[in-house]
This record gives sequence, structure tokens and C-alpha cells, in this order.
Amino acid sequence: MIFSRSDQPRAVTTFPVLRAVTHVGAEMWVLICVSVITAYLVLPPLFSVIQTSLFTTRLNGELDQFTGKYYRDLLGGLQLAGPLLNTLCFSLGSAVLATLVGGFVAWVVTRTDTPLSGLGYFTAFASFGTPFILYTIGWLLLLGKAGPVNFWLRSILDSSGPVLNVYSLGGMIFVEALLWSPFVFLMLAASFRSMDPSLEDASATCGAGVWQTLRRISLRLMLPAFFSVILLIFIRAFESFEIPALIGLPGDIRVFTTAIFLDAQRMPPSYGSAGAFSVLLMLIVAGTLYVYFRVTRESTKFQTITGKGYRPRLISLGRWRYAASAALLLYALVLLVLPFLIVLWASLLPFYMQPSLEALSKLTLRNYSTAVHYPKIADSIKNSVLLGLGSATVVMGLTTLASWILVRTKLRGRWLLDLLTTLPLLFPGIVMGLAILRFYLIVPIPIYGTLWILLVAYVTRYVPYGIRYTHAGLLQLHKELEEAAYASGASWSNCMRRIVLPLLSPSFFGGWVFVFLLSAKELSMSVLLVSPRTPVVSVAIYELWDNAQVGELAAFGIVWTAILVSVSVIYYLFARRYGVQMQ
Amino acid sequence: MSSLSIPDRFFGRTGGGNDMVRCLRYRTFWLAFFALLIELAPFSFLRQAEALTVEEIALLKGPGRQKVLEQGAKKEGNLLWYSTLIVDQLVRPVKVAFEKEYPFIQVEFFRGNTERVVQKAVSEYQAKRYDVDIIDGTTSPTLAGKAGIMQRFNSPYLAEYPAELKDAQGIWGATNLYFLTLGYNTRMVKPNEVPKTWDDLLNPRWKGNMIWSTSRGSGAPMMIGNILLSMGPEAGKAYLLKLAKQSVAKSTASNRQILDLVIAGEYPIALHIFNHHALISRKAGAPVDWQPLEPVTATFNSTGLVKNAPHPHAALLFLDFVFSKRGQKIFQDVDYLPAHPEMAARQADLKPGGGRFKRANYVSPDVQYEKGNEWIDFFQSQFLK
Repeated sequence: MIFSRSDQPRAVTTFPVLRAVTHVGAEMWVLICVSVITAYLVLPPLFSVIQTSLFTTRLNGELDQFTGKYYRDLLGGLQLAGPLLNTLCFSLGSAVLATLVGGFVAWVVTRTDTPLSGLGYFTAFASFGTPFILYTIGWLLLLGKAGPVNFWLRSILDSSGPVLNVYSLGGMIFVEALLWSPFVFLMLAASFRSMDPSLEDASATCGAGVWQTLRRISLRLMLPAFFSVILLIFIRAFESFEIPALIGLPGDIRVFTTAIFLDAQRMPPSYGSAGAFSVLLMLIVAGTLYVYFRVTRESTKFQTITGKGYRPRLISLGRWRYAASAALLLYALVLLVLPFLIVLWASLLPFYMQPSLEALSKLTLRNYSTAVHYPKIADSIKNSVLLGLGSATVVMGLTTLASWILVRTKLRGRWLLDLLTTLPLLFPGIVMGLAILRFYLIVPIPIYGTLWILLVAYVTRYVPYGIRYTHAGLLQLHKELEEAAYASGASWSNCMRRIVLPLLSPSFFGGWVFVFLLSAKELSMSVLLVSPRTPVVSVAIYELWDNAQVGELAAFGIVWTAILVSVSVIYYLFARRYGVQMQ
Repeated sequence: MSSLSIPDRFFGRTGGGNDMVRCLRYRTFWLAFFALLIELAPFSFLRQAEALTVEEIALLKGPGRQKVLEQGAKKEGNLLWYSTLIVDQLVRPVKVAFEKEYPFIQVEFFRGNTERVVQKAVSEYQAKRYDVDIIDGTTSPTLAGKAGIMQRFNSPYLAEYPAELKDAQGIWGATNLYFLTLGYNTRMVKPNEVPKTWDDLLNPRWKGNMIWSTSRGSGAPMMIGNILLSMGPEAGKAYLLKLAKQSVAKSTASNRQILDLVIAGEYPIALHIFNHHALISRKAGAPVDWQPLEPVTATFNSTGLVKNAPHPHAALLFLDFVFSKRGQKIFQDVDYLPAHPEMAARQADLKPGGGRFKRANYVSPDVQYEKGNEWIDFFQSQFLK
């Protein structure tokens, strides 16, 4: 059966045909189960978004009249032309810059003999799980008009006004790209690690140097990974709210999300424009995804783990390795240490003052004692950790099965699964939060106000991220290993357990940690879905900022960062000891 | 029929152990059933007499009221308050004082700007999630009332307040007054430079050096409203168009946070902040002061009960507390401006006639509700690029 539908007859021998008859049932069941679960998670928000975009809202939140006005406003009115242009520049700029920075660090850490490569992992882990808003505040304190960077620049350049204006498109792109660079690192490190060295060896044998091999072999093999990373960041930047609100608005750089936020201050709030915006975003993203799938369709081209030994060789950088470790240090300094220090400074002050001798006399631990007495802090840390563990496990379990079906089987209807697991990418977080809220208003499942609704939201949102890991991992895993297992008489479950999963474990654990960290800092959905009785860290920090409790926020942020750093140290030691690869 | 068979089975046979057990089980079951019926019948009747709806509790009057509220509140044990007040300045002191007075009630709270508080409560009500008991804000109770999620209530203490500080329908009462003025960093703005009139803001010196909030309840839309109302639509609009050329920075945060940016030196001037916030920071040693631009935008914080409040007894005790002189004393002690006519501000010059300014333009919650969208439209079309 499989033979007749397969378009790659070369790989199929008589043994798999016999096996196929027995394991086709399992495949089909897995497909059905995974599809039903994903459909349950994904379709309600989709329906809700389209519905919201076509109706006006009453003051009490009910849908009122059918209207096409939001689409007319969005497309017809030139009012949004400015925000559209800003949004595109911002998203594309941050995606490219983040990929360059994160990709470089990933390459240095995984593929070269640079000393201090462990530092790259620490920096990435510790900064990635921390809510964006904390670092954004740190960088704003550093780069602001009255901040130390401008102060030094002023004294060096002998200028009177602020030299560097962070409240600009450039400032937005810089901060957003830095924030996303650990994401790039975590996604690309896995792909770099599992690259077939024989192609690079061949290139070296033919007389190519390190750079030539990198440019003509390694980077080309990484093309799908690069493309998917740029795409993901583009989408996330497109829908992001923190940076546009904190940096863009003061500098009059309006993007879509801030335009919608300001619209929502009308009463009744026009959720419709948010809906229409999301539908537009979906169309843009769908177009981009189409291109992506065209690129990765000929997936065998990118299979880099075959039956041959696949552990890639480290490239010797010679003297350049010291420059590379200096770059790693700089990265850690800019991404982690400097914002951490300035936030630490802020946490010790009764009200914020620029670092100076005069300010030293005002230092106090009052914020810490308040932070400790504030009972929500322990609760929110516990809730965030629980949610991270839960969503990472569910997402990775679900997506491993889903990618296996997508990559390995020729089942009819797997396109549906592909579509379902990609759909959540199309929703801006704030819209998905609203859609999930509205869905559980109709459906009599009483999870609103509990942690369960957050779990549902996180799993739905992060399925596409999990699947990037497992899908990319499986694409690189050549089919011949499984065929060898079947040929030796292994059953489907046996083959999964003993061949696929172990080989996939770097991607699986990479994805797991990644989803954990993403969940730990999720803000835009959580802000709508948490109740005051189930606080989570990201929302608690956001509210502290909004309510001008910056000192307390900093104290809280320091505690949370310390927890994440110790978790990543433990993970690192564990991984080294038990041979789990650090991706 | 089956009840007849109980004695029959129980007395008629004394045979094997199995039968015995079965009989005992039957007997236990039926006894329990009847006991339950007897238990339930008068209880449900009593309960109906005892249980009051939220509306009935909210409108209670007379001498027995306090006792009923306290008894009910003991069972409820806590209340949830969605507030727009600043947590460390006011919410926590009020919580501490109230919990001291009623040790059997825990106050839980959530803080957000006016529109956020309303949207949160409204979407929860849409999801039939009735968690919140109390809502406050400059316009929050009014907006939530228009959305149909507020409950009229009666508090004996509101009788001491003038008509303009309580809702005619009984949806809200005022807890504290707000005067929105300019705030500035005293190290960046020299005393002789401080803008004293609206026209002073048009000085090129301040271009790009001022910031205001986007909040509907206390930010740019309110200041625009004050100018349009006090200068008249024509002159007001002409003035605002000139102000728009000064590239005023915006922030979505609370006015308190915007004043903190001024203190940190990011902007020399905040256009529209609460003057008592500047005083509080000044007392803590921060380089900041406020300056009235007359007429000063004046409004107040109103507080009310939510329709399906799960803890109505506790919520009413809380409302009584914040309107009473005891509660108003907390506002006074932390340098907020009590709404109670007999409770003066600790720093008298924060209020009109106190020495620093005379004229204030009171913008009532109803006016804010009616004109709010218009002011937001003006803000978005003229002040956003």
C-alpha cells in the first residue's frame, strides 16, 4: 500500500512492505489522535478571530452588528499606512539582526574550538526565560536620554544634548533583536550540532578554507533552519507589544499593535479592528509560510544525519578563537550583565536616580523586604514553573508524534495536521488570549480563572515552535536508520523508542527547554487570562512596571533571574554528566 | 412499597449472614434517606429566608445592617478589589487598616488603569466568572455601570457627602479628589523657566521634552477635554493644534510611572500628573515638583459595588470603611486628598484655594463617559503620527 503511494521507491525494500501492513494502523491512529487534539486547541480561536473582525462590540462585550467597517478602515483608510510601514521595517529589521547575532553565537559555540563556549548557553538560557519587560526596562535605563551610555557619549563627544536616541525605530530594532537572539541561538544550535561533517570534510579536502566551507556548505545546509527562524521572529516582532509600547510610543513610532491598543481605550472597545488586523496578519504570514514550504519541500536535500557517523567536527579557528571568545563575553555582557546590573541598581533605590555618588547614600533594601512580604511572588514563581513544566512536556510529546507523521508517513490527510500545527503562528498573542477567553465563555468547561486555561493557551501557542524543533530534527534524520530497524525485525513502537527518539533527543530536549522558557515569560495572552488568584511571573512584573513599582519590580526580577540561572546551571551539569546534548 | 418491605425483610428473616448484611444496608440507606429529608425540609425553608441577594444586601438600611454585614462577612472571609489607585502609596495602607478593623476579612486586589479595570471585569462577566467585588477609578464604575455590571448600593456614610461626589443612581461614591497638573524635574527645569500658563508649553525649549499618558481616565484625552471645555471648542482646538507641533511623547503606563520617568531625568516635564504624587516623591527626596496650569483638570476617584459580587457583605463593609472618616483618614495620612467634606488635605495647597491655584475645571464621570471617545479621537488624529 505504502509502496504504491510512495514517490521514493528507491528506499523501500521488501521488508518495510511487510512491516507496513502491521504498523499502518498505528500511524493512522496517531494521526487521528494528534489531529483531534490540535484541532480542539487551534480551531476555536480561529473561528473567534474571524467572528470578532466582522461584528461591532457592545459596551458589555457582546457582539452587536455585522459590519465590514474594520476591514475598510484597515485597508482603505490611509490612517494605517504609517503603522504598516513601521511594522514591516521593525519586524524585518529585528528578524535579520537577531538571526545574524544569534546565528553567529550559535556557530561559534557549537562548531568551533572557542574557549568559554559554555557561556553562550548560560547567557541564552538565563536571558531567554526572563520576561522581556525586565530587560527592556534595563536597556531603557542604560540607553535612555539620561542614562549612563548617553552620559559617557556626551562627555566623550562633548555634546550637550543626548547623543543616542533609543526612542526610535533603530532603538526598537536593536532591543527587539537582542531579546530574540537567544531564541535564534537555541533554535540554530541544534541544527548546527547535527550537521553531516562529511560534506564539510569533502570541501576541506578540495582545498576550501574555513570561511569558504562555511559560506558554501554549512550555511547552505542550514538554509531551511535560517529561513524558519527569520520567519518566526518576523511574526513575533510583528505582533509584539512590549517594545512598541515602551520604546516606540514615546518616540512616535506607531506600529499595528500599539495602534490597536490605543483603539481599545474607546468605550466600547473596538475588538473588531484587532480581529481585522489579525486576519490581515494571517494572510501575510500564510503567504510567507507558503514560500517556506516551497523551500523545504525537497527535504531530502537537507537530510544531514544519515547512517554514517554524524557527530560534526569542531572547526579550529586558530588565533581567531580568542576574538571569538571576546565576542561571547561581549554578548553576555550586553545581553545579561549590564541590564542585570542596572536593574539591580534600581532595586536598591527608593526612587530611580542615575548612578552617582550622591545616589549611593540613598541605597536601601526596602524593596527586597516588600518583595518578600508581597505574598504573590512565591505564588507566581510556583505557577510559572508548573505551567512551564506542563506546557513543555505536552507540546513536545504532541509535536514529536506530529512531525513523525509529517516527515515519515505518506498518509493522506497529513496536510491537515501540517496546517493545524502551523495555524497558531498566525495569531498575535493578545488576540489568541481574547479568543480563548471567549471560547471558554461559550463552552461549559469551567477553567477560566484557573491555571488550566493558561496551560491550554500556552500549549496552543507553542505547538508551532515545538514542531520546528522536532520537524527539523526529523528532516535531518535519514530514513535509512529506521528502515534498517524494520529490516532487522523491529516493531513500530520499538523503532520509535530505540532509534528515532534517542536520535531525536537533542532536538526534543532543545525544544523542551525552549518551550519551558517561552512559557515562563509569556505575557500577551497571560495578561488577559490570569486571575488575581493565579498570578504568574510575567504578568506580575508587567503590572509592577505599569503601576510604577520599579524598585519592587527590580527586586522581583533579580530573584527570578537568579532562579533561572541556577536552573540552567543545574541543567548544564546534568546534561554534561548524562551526555544529553545541550541544545 | 419498598418502605413496607423493610420491616418485612428485617424482621421476617433471620437467616444467613449475607441476608443480614443486605438488610442492614437497606435499613441504613433508608434511615439516612429519611433523616436527610427531615434535615433538608426545614433547612431549605430557613435558608431561603436567610439568604439575601446581592441587591438586597446592597440596599440594606437601618440599625440591624452592620450586624448582618459582619455576620455575612465572617462567612465570606475575603473580597476582591479592582483598583486604579497606586499600590504602594494607597492600596496597601487601606488594605492593612481595613484588615485591622475586620480581622476576618482578607483584601485581595488587582491594579490597572481605568479602561483596563473595566475591560477585565466586563470580559469576566461575559464569561460568567463573578470574582470581583469592588471597582474604583475616575470613570471605571460609570463605564462598568453602562455595561450593566454594577449594583446600586446604600452606605450610611455617603449621606455626609455633597451631591456631586456621589452618583444619583447610587452606583458609586467618591473616595478622593484628583487635581491634574504639570510635574517637572527640578534639576532640569530652572525655577524661572517653569511653564506657568498653557501658552508657556508652546515654547520651543520644550519641544520633544514633555510626556503624557494615553490613559482615558487621567491622561492626554482628559487634558484635551479640559482645554476644549475651558477654552471653548474653537480656541481650545486652535491651542491644541499648536501643542501637537511640540511632539509630546506618550506612554501607556500609569501617571505615577510617567512622573517616575521625569524623576529619573528621561523627560524634564510631565504634562498631566496627579499633584499629590509629586508631593509624595518630593517628601521622599526626589527632585520633582508640580505646577498648576489653570484651570486645573479636576476629577475624583469613584468606588462602587459589582453586580454579582461573590462577597457582598464584606464588600459593603469595605465601602462603608473607605467613605467613613476612619477610612478617609488613611487617604489623608498618605497625602491623598480625601473626598469627605470634613476631612482636609494634609497639604492644603494641593487643592484649589489652598494658595497655589484658584481655578479648577471639574470633569464629572458622566461628562467623561459622554465625551471620552471624542477626546480620544482628537488625541489620535492630532497627536499621533
